[in-house]
Amino acid sequence: MKKELTFKNFSIYFDHYLFISITLLSFMGLLFLYSASQGDLNSVIKQSIFVGFGLCLMLILSQPDPDFYKLYSGLFIILSIALMFATMIFGKEINGAKRWLNFGFFTLQTSEIIKIALPVFLASYLYNKPLPISTKHTFITLALICLVFYLVYSQPDLGTGLVVFMAGVYILFLAGLSWKFIFTSFGLLVLSMPFLWNNFLEPFQRQRILTFIDPSNDPFGSSWNITQSKIAIGSGGIYGKGYQEGSQANLNFLPEAETDFIFAVISEEFGFIGICILLALFFFILLRCLYLAFNARDRFCRLAIGGLSLILASTLFINLAMVVGIIPVVGMPMPFISKGGSSLLSFYIAFGIIISMATHKKLMQK
Amino acid sequence: MTDLNERYIEKRSFFRRLIVVYAFFGFAFSYFLFQTFSLQVSEYSEYETASIKNKTKEVLVQPVRGIIYDRSGKIIVNNVPTYDLITRPSKIKSIESFLSEISLIINLNSDELGYIKENFDSKARYNRELVVKKNLSEEEISRFEVRSYKFPNTFIDVRYSRYNYYPELFSHAIGYVGGVSSNELTSILGSQKLPQIETIFKYSKGFLIGKTGLESTYDHLLRGKFGKKIYEIDAKGRLLDEREFIKPTNGENIFTTLDIDAQKVAYDQMDNRRGAIVAVEVDTGSIVSYVSTPSFSTNAISNGISSSVFNTLIQDNNKPFFDRAAQGRYSPASTIKPAIGLFGLENKIIDWDFSIDDPGYFILPEDQRVYRGWRTGGHGNVNLNKAMIVSSNTFFFSLAYQSDIYKLINYLSNFGFGTNVCADCFNPDKGLLPSPEWKMNNLNFGWFTGDTVNLGVGQGYLSTTPLQLAYYSALLANKGKSKALSFVFDKNDSKNLYIQSENISDHDWEKLHQSMIGVIESPIGTAKRLQELKTYKVAAKSGTAELVSTETKEDYKIIRENKGNRDHAIIIAFGPMPNPKYAVSVVIENGESGGSVAGPVAIAVLNSLLDK
Repeated sequence: MKKELTFKNFSIYFDHYLFISITLLSFMGLLFLYSASQGDLNSVIKQSIFVGFGLCLMLILSQPDPDFYKLYSGLFIILSIALMFATMIFGKEINGAKRWLNFGFFTLQTSEIIKIALPVFLASYLYNKPLPISTKHTFITLALICLVFYLVYSQPDLGTGLVVFMAGVYILFLAGLSWKFIFTSFGLLVLSMPFLWNNFLEPFQRQRILTFIDPSNDPFGSSWNITQSKIAIGSGGIYGKGYQEGSQANLNFLPEAETDFIFAVISEEFGFIGICILLALFFFILLRCLYLAFNARDRFCRLAIGGLSLILASTLFINLAMVVGIIPVVGMPMPFISKGGSSLLSFYIAFGIIISMATHKKLMQK
Repeated sequence: MTDLNERYIEKRSFFRRLIVVYAFFGFAFSYFLFQTFSLQVSEYSEYETASIKNKTKEVLVQPVRGIIYDRSGKIIVNNVPTYDLITRPSKIKSIESFLSEISLIINLNSDELGYIKENFDSKARYNRELVVKKNLSEEEISRFEVRSYKFPNTFIDVRYSRYNYYPELFSHAIGYVGGVSSNELTSILGSQKLPQIETIFKYSKGFLIGKTGLESTYDHLLRGKFGKKIYEIDAKGRLLDEREFIKPTNGENIFTTLDIDAQKVAYDQMDNRRGAIVAVEVDTGSIVSYVSTPSFSTNAISNGISSSVFNTLIQDNNKPFFDRAAQGRYSPASTIKPAIGLFGLENKIIDWDFSIDDPGYFILPEDQRVYRGWRTGGHGNVNLNKAMIVSSNTFFFSLAYQSDIYKLINYLSNFGFGTNVCADCFNPDKGLLPSPEWKMNNLNFGWFTGDTVNLGVGQGYLSTTPLQLAYYSALLANKGKSKALSFVFDKNDSKNLYIQSENISDHDWEKLHQSMIGVIESPIGTAKRLQELKTYKVAAKSGTAELVSTETKEDYKIIRENKGNRDHAIIIAFGPMPNPKYAVSVVIENGESGGSVAGPVAIAVLNSLLDK
């Protein structure tokens, strides 16, 4: 395992396992996107700019010492929250959702930034708290998580909101949240289900869940997506229909083929073998993160690596579950693959931070 | 140490917890992989089919309906092309410039313009074709053809309407076609294993289906099989490429046994009187002439008729739509006598020497009721031969009186009475062969001996159709042997049917034929007036079916004032004797005399068939 490339007096911090697998995944993503967008070179070029920029960003963000992130995580979270509020006020509204801030050359989905800032901040907040985490710290943490969740959720963006919420909870859990608290709150959650159902879910969200439970109850046709997605996946067979030969995607039967349902496009064109290769890459990245978390130099790094890698796992989980019809359609990109700059960048940032934490040795062991 | 210990505990707790979460995701991803596996491998064929079904659309292509020929190969019914101008709106940039250019060549009225403007966008969106104008004139066709290079996306397409060259002659035999109902279409498509498709007919007036006559009985052969064009479509239903074209199988042509000339003669002879003629070839049972009058034009019905004309036809008291040949029920009257005579011979009630004295009436011994003959004073001493020639009622009353009713009914059913005698006629009526059970169930009365006596002269409850009489006539001509009647060569694979007989010899048949020849040739024959009308011998039996039972001739004179009360004129005939080729039956409603009214019609038809 090489963690440093040393050129004379100057070192580059670099994890070639992660770097190579992520680069590979990103290029595969561009390939898939070209087919899913039916040969739209413009969106592929735009996406490759993000990929190139993202890979550089990842490399740059690997260089600072983890202490830099520990030190400035408070600032990052405040800036991120500020961006969220700015989105609320100045955001660009698309299809009734206000999620984007327009920077002229680039529209930023601000929830993608806070998705990274929150777990890093929580790691820096909790790394020195004794086990188990006291009720006071638990509540402070939860309050922050809920605030951020609410900001994202109210855009509205339930999918990302859930990922942000989960990212926060992972850190809290990994940092040593008391089991007593976990069981108590789980019990309360179950009891408050009906209340949440009636007060927190929009009618369309309730309908999605109902449709999910009973597909025949589908007044708005939301499961048409799932049907088409399943046809795309199933008709790919073992070897797939061949690159750009997927009729489900090319003839527009598949909704959101470039974003949410890109997995179905890959399944259709590359078959089960293609899916195995794709998932193997993701598994490799996640297992590498697990290894890095185990070997991290301190608790802060451990928590951050664990939390950030679980964001990847959760995003992938929600995306796949949605595409194969296990959960309702919530709108969740496939990491590194789906079209969309903000989501792509957020993962490069996350992995830049992970690599930084994994490669910097502590100068002085405590 | 405590610090180290704490660090150790923290690290262990972290590892455990991280492993728990990772294990959860590991489990979840394995499940997704399994899910993908089951979709792609286990249920592959199902989803592959779904994917193909998704991206293809089948457009049915109509077959051309079969042609109907007469027995000499002349076309009776054909398909006549009409031409429509079609365009593809999706390939046309500006509807205004298209319309302004095309209207220089082809006149479009405001309705047509309205239709084009209304449908242009939607047809363009789904890449469908649009009818610009229907029924182009020859002038319009040639004007367009010359300038067609200016309209690369516009073309002329043909569709067919059904045309009968003899629209009134064959209205009941061949029948007419009409637009298909959705139920009929569903079953046709089902039988060809085709999916139910919403845009079945791109621009035709619609698929035609036989509604009556041969058009209906042989519809399954005439209509052919749909072809299909298989297009690739996108999710919006736009037609993209044509992937495959399976040509339609055109309908089979039907070669009928009908004879146009004889049909014409028969139709003209009927002269719009109410009635029917059926002529058949004796050996094969094939129908050569089949007329029911009055008639109507099948072309008008098939290709659209104004409702006022239609209503006139429907309300016509002469019921032109009614197929008297296959559905009209008439008493066979005296034409039944040959069958009764044969029954007497078979059961040895009589022989050819047996005779009785005919005083002009028969008195039923049970109740002294009087059953009269047609001739006051009677025919003197009559044997079977004379009884046939002069049509003695008394002889047959007396013969029937001695018959067992069940045996008699059973025997008559062998002649086709009360049964379907035709293999491919449209909705033939079975007539009525009464029985004691029938009478009890329907009239709530027991069977009287008098009923049997009436049966002996073909009066009473017995009723037959002209079709059945033609079959009966052919059966007599062929000495008890016949095939089920049919309109089509070769299709008639029915076996020969025989009259079950133990005691009737060829000699008996010849004598019967002789007596039926005598009906015309004998100076005392009931149809002796027909002698002059032909150059060969014809066997016949006339009948006069009374509609109102009267005691005396004076009574009949009173009731005949009302034309509808007059007797029906009936004749069965076959010839040339002694080797009959054709058998014919004629019924003329209220024609009064079988011999002199129905007879000439039968002879004229035979003359035509025999080219004499």
